[in-house]
Amino acid sequence: MAENQTNDGTVAMTSWQLNGQEVENPTGMTIMEAAKEHGIEIPCFCYHPGLSIAGNCRICMVESNRSRKPVISCSEKIADGLEIETESELAVSSRNSVMEFQLINHPLDCPVCDKAGECTLQDHSYEHGPDRSRFVEDKNIRHTKELGPNISIWGNRCIVCTRCIRFCDEISGTSELCIVERGDRSVVDVFPEIPIDNQLAGNTVDICPVGALISHDFKYEARVWNMDRKDSVCGGCSRGCNVEVETLDGFVKRLMPRENLEVNDWWMCDEGRYGWRHLYADDRLSQATRDGTALADDSATAALEQLLSESGPVAFLIDPFLTCEEMHLVQGLAASRPGSSVGGWLPEDGIAANFPSGFKISAAKYPNRAGAEHIFGDQVFGNDATELQKALVSSDFNTVVAFCGGHLSSGPGESWAKALSSTPTSIIFSVKSGPWLEGASLVLPATAPIEKDGTWINEDGRLQRTRSCWNPGTEPFSVELVRLQTLQNALGIRGRSLSAAGIFRELAANNDSFAGHNHSDLGSPGLLLSERPAGIAMDGGSE
Amino acid sequence: MANTISFCSETMKQYEWLLTRYPTRRAALLPTLRLAESDFGELGVPEMRYVADLMEIPPAFVFGVVTFYTHYRRAGTGKFHIQVCSTLSCALRGSEDVVSRITERLGIKPGETTPCGHFTLSKVECLGSCDTAPMLQCNDDYHEDLSLEDVDQLIEQLRAEAEGGQNG
Ligand code: SF4
Ligand code: SF4
Ligand code: FES
Ligand code: FES
Repeated sequence: MAENQTNDGTVAMTSWQLNGQEVENPTGMTIMEAAKEHGIEIPCFCYHPGLSIAGNCRICMVESNRSRKPVISCSEKIADGLEIETESELAVSSRNSVMEFQLINHPLDCPVCDKAGECTLQDHSYEHGPDRSRFVEDKNIRHTKELGPNISIWGNRCIVCTRCIRFCDEISGTSELCIVERGDRSVVDVFPEIPIDNQLAGNTVDICPVGALISHDFKYEARVWNMDRKDSVCGGCSRGCNVEVETLDGFVKRLMPRENLEVNDWWMCDEGRYGWRHLYADDRLSQATRDGTALADDSATAALEQLLSESGPVAFLIDPFLTCEEMHLVQGLAASRPGSSVGGWLPEDGIAANFPSGFKISAAKYPNRAGAEHIFGDQVFGNDATELQKALVSSDFNTVVAFCGGHLSSGPGESWAKALSSTPTSIIFSVKSGPWLEGASLVLPATAPIEKDGTWINEDGRLQRTRSCWNPGTEPFSVELVRLQTLQNALGIRGRSLSAAGIFRELAANNDSFAGHNHSDLGSPGLLLSERPAGIAMDGGSE
Repeated sequence: MANTISFCSETMKQYEWLLTRYPTRRAALLPTLRLAESDFGELGVPEMRYVADLMEIPPAFVFGVVTFYTHYRRAGTGKFHIQVCSTLSCALRGSEDVVSRITERLGIKPGETTPCGHFTLSKVECLGSCDTAPMLQCNDDYHEDLSLEDVDQLIEQLRAEAEGGQNG
């Protein structure tokens, strides 16, 4: 975008006319982008802000004073003196004709098509398309087949926009997809025996404007308009891709990336996307137990209160899946029990990946190491952890409270399991069963990352708001957040329970790293911990 | 998977010369596919894979290009590939009748190959010989100003050639 930088560093502007109005936009913008800034949304199929311009679908045609024929607004740039009409007779009839053309071979599949309800073709057809077909010939048939382990193509629905192909060329850099044949027989395919199987493949389904690419994970699972959506953050690695978690009748059905140009652009990786299945894995814990016997929820809370009120100094073993808010509550508990100490365990590193587009997958397979280090100190997973383990093994503590979260992780290793079982009273919050629960005094089912409500800090130091996929007040909505506060209330170190935002306010008031931040200012891209929300004066020194 | 096929040294020389004629390697794909076709006889999966690896182009891209054009010999094409032009001039001058006549004589529809593997029939777009419509291309030869009798004659001749080739 250096194109519009002038010598004195300001942005050069172009004056043009949009539907008869004089308007200005930064030089170098396309008509489509510029019109959007003035509230005019020009329809598109092949255009995607994250991909190169292909200009093949023609739905975005508008009338221009510089051309006898309509021009495509996704690639044509604004220019001084340019006059564009988006609603003139020519523009409207061009759009209508393109719609009619797109629908010539399109099947009437909407009632059984997974894309229905969020389909660009359906939307544009409703707005710009004819309400009946003049096409009396036979519609052609194109292949329906698996393109890879997670994706199939319904060729009849493909409008050959090439978004999926450009994605594999430009974003994942894997180039598995191509268009085969030509004309009305064109359809997306893979080279024989080279399936689409890259770490970002699932994104092609999201960006397919129609229901041609279908994810096996979501096929026939739900009608999109019936689902509840929550703006969450993926806890699969320290990137913290912004996601939307969609649920139906209390079941997670799908994860989709949410645009965040600071973190994940429009994408997410398949491991995170399909990871939600682990929520329903056989080893998921749903039942509290006391010395191996099942406990009702109330009795579990009572047991927790009893064990902690009788305890002396407590050892706290935290994990990097806890939100900053949960960690703040743990810290409050530790502070109220003199002689307590805190250490953390980290899951083993996975493999990092960097893609040509700049998209990254982190080797650190957890969301909030940075948060823990800001709250408990930078040695919480280092020296403090080593010391804590030693102390536990030599039974220096009578009581340990451990957090074993992360539905995708393999849990704390053998040495931590040993340390926990050497402590007489062990209270363990765990997402799933595993060897670390051996001999536990009290086991409490815990939440997986997308069930938590609060904030995490990613590997760039970006503070991001994640929302639980469940509604507040319904289990397992952020169980630890609720349970730790109930406990604090019972122990007399808290007056009343707050929402995650309230707890965050306490944290920000007590911890310089977080000072000046609050939930409502985080917005959707989040904020670097070092960039305070505008309008909040900091009393210097802390950064 | 290692490729078991490769260009003969003569073809390789021609390929290297081709590369000097184009600004990028990708731009030399069409003529390179021609070389592959004449060296290997057809463009099937191993042949496309070989060209992709040789030119360092994604195999899917090569696949897309090969299937876009009608003039490459894909795997499974009969000994004689009869491509009947069906674009405007030829259509007006009776290309549909030419196609039906061939179908009648050979028992195959466009897109099909005879069980004996001798003939493949295709309908293709303009072959640039509109002044002599209707016309067809059989392998590398044009047959123009066709009457239905010409079609019959051509088929007899090709059949004899195919069968003769088999015996000899
Ligand atoms: S792709 Fe869109 S328009 Fe086509 S069948 Fe599916 S929902 Fe309907
Ligand atoms: S499969 Fe979807 S994204 Fe790919 S070309 Fe077809 S319509 Fe476009
Ligand atoms: S959006 Fe402009 S041509 Fe497709
Ligand atoms: S229309 Fe048949 S050769 Fe041109």
